[in-house]
Amino acid sequence: MSIVLLGVNHKSAPIAVRERLAFSEDACAASLRELVDGELIREGLIVSTCNRVEVLTETTSGRFDDTAERVIQFLSRSDVPRDFFEANLYKHVDDSAVRHLFRVASSLDSLVVGEPQVLGQVRRAYSIALDAGTAGRVLNRLVHHAFRVAKRVRTETGIGANAVSISYMAVELGKKIFDSLKGQTALLVGAGEMAELSARHLVNAGVSRVMVANRTDTFAQQLADTFGGEAVNFTRLADYLAEADVVICSTGADDYVITETMAREALHKRRNRPSFFIDISVPRNIDPAIGKLPNMFVFDIDDLESVVTSNIREREREAERAELIVESEIMQFQQSLRALDAGPAIGTFRQTLQDVARLEFQRRRAQLGELTPEQERAIEALLQSTVNKISHPVLSQLRRSYDATDADKIEAWRDLFGLEE
Amino acid sequence: MRSLLLAVLAAYVVAAIHAVLAFINKRRALLRVSEYAMAIGFVLHTTALIADWALYGHYPLFHLRETLSFLAWTLVASYSLILYRYQARALGSVTLPLVSILIFVAIVTRAEPSPEATSMSTTWLFPVHTTLLLFAYAAFFVVFLASIMYLLQERELKLKKFSGIYHRLPSLTTVNEIATSSAAIGVTLLTVGIATGMLWSSARNGRVWQNDPKEIFAALTWSLYILLILYRSSARWRGRRAAWMGVAGFALVLCTFFGARLMGGYHVFG
Repeated sequence: MSIVLLGVNHKSAPIAVRERLAFSEDACAASLRELVDGELIREGLIVSTCNRVEVLTETTSGRFDDTAERVIQFLSRSDVPRDFFEANLYKHVDDSAVRHLFRVASSLDSLVVGEPQVLGQVRRAYSIALDAGTAGRVLNRLVHHAFRVAKRVRTETGIGANAVSISYMAVELGKKIFDSLKGQTALLVGAGEMAELSARHLVNAGVSRVMVANRTDTFAQQLADTFGGEAVNFTRLADYLAEADVVICSTGADDYVITETMAREALHKRRNRPSFFIDISVPRNIDPAIGKLPNMFVFDIDDLESVVTSNIREREREAERAELIVESEIMQFQQSLRALDAGPAIGTFRQTLQDVARLEFQRRRAQLGELTPEQERAIEALLQSTVNKISHPVLSQLRRSYDATDADKIEAWRDLFGLEE
Repeated sequence: MRSLLLAVLAAYVVAAIHAVLAFINKRRALLRVSEYAMAIGFVLHTTALIADWALYGHYPLFHLRETLSFLAWTLVASYSLILYRYQARALGSVTLPLVSILIFVAIVTRAEPSPEATSMSTTWLFPVHTTLLLFAYAAFFVVFLASIMYLLQERELKLKKFSGIYHRLPSLTTVNEIATSSAAIGVTLLTVGIATGMLWSSARNGRVWQNDPKEIFAALTWSLYILLILYRSSARWRGRRAAWMGVAGFALVLCTFFGARLMGGYHVFG
């Protein structure tokens, strides 16, 4: 058995290529059944997301070129010429294919290293293959092992720990300052797309109250409704400031909307409880001098960007440790796979029987007298085919036990014929 | 006794190494090893202290050797409480190495023979007075550590430059809470500890105040932490200023603990 993976991803192919190769979820199952013929390709799985299209197969050993050819034909279907994508295609066999899948599932191969979505996508691809009946004993093992690796990577490295998008920074800062955002209050001043996205992340992280202030009250009301928040009066911003633990500001104003005096007053009313300000507007709407006040933290767009950059670097450092985990898991997977592979056991068994026949022939050779080379070859062939014919039913049984991963039976066969591990 | 203490040291060293590695590598599996080792160390340590008491006939908090060992024991106990309440494991990467060092010094310190030790033990005030104060020191050490953690993170948040340490420390709110509650516990222990000391002193020679360096430092320490708590509760000094006070307070604690010993006086022992 052999594991072969062919595909394109965001590094190897431009979107123009990826979009032509992509499979819709509905098309996936039917395509899989078409690809898996039970002869050359025995199992198959398609991972098709915006960043990658990959076909993972389990095939007969030693027939990599045939398999690759089949998959390329399969990918080209009828409407995509193979020249169009063949140069972008990567091909992985066995260890290399296993490594690739492990890296994809652990989000080491993602556009943004450590983003967890890809694991869900692999999970989805697997369940489609299961429904289509094209995921069998090898892919089952492989995919489950990949999930395990992804989990290990997530818990043992900090690969997904730090925010790598500006909109998520509000949540991360909130956790650093307040430990948890549960029950905290956020104030949204103005309405930009980024501010709205940040607010949505905050609500998902547990912020219980969202106030929205906008120069146009109806607009504030609309936005507030989308988070179940409340619209507040823009002119009374100073009062609401004292109630807000998190302030996100993004208006089109060309001067400070939140001044140091306002912040100082709010700090006093808050009895020095900490709060932080995120200013996504250009020109800035929050006086940077507020950052000098005790227990108040101000982040403008440049600060956020530099933190995001350093977080990405931190993730990349963690990714190096994740690669080590992947390597050690590949070895473990190969070991568990070996138990599935009937090939070596059958080979050894057949060899043992052939050796017996050859030895017996040699022992009696003298009694046979003078033989022509043709006669000698004929006797050898006779012995060989007799041995093969007699052992055939036994070997098919053995192969069947392996295919069914019936450990007890495999063990029994091994004992019976004195096969070593 | 020495061999038991060596076993204690071994357990704490294992705990310390794993805690530090876990802090650096952010690996939870290492933390589990660290906590098991610490638990084993703590049980052995408790046994060692009880055995000491039974063997030498005085409360095991008289010689420097005993005091260091006892101090390490209170630190482990305090850290366990913090683990239970706040899961702030970052503290262990400092506390556990310190505990190991204290035990190591305790092992290599020679036990000096002293007849006073047994005579001291006749009053119940001796164990109460000393135990309370050592736990107060441990609490102030926790305040100090939490304050340092607060200051480090607050500085990075203000500068918007985050180092590796930033990502490994508990949140500002958590360290602030740890510092506040530990300071409150520490001051309570210190107050009762000083009061029992006065009671004991007056029972011995009728004087409540001996005016020796240790007492003066203790009084200063007490005032500083009372001030810290008052400020915190009035919310005027939240955050950085309170944290600086937690650091300054610990400097005084060190003076009380070691400085007074070097200067001599009424409090002759560790």
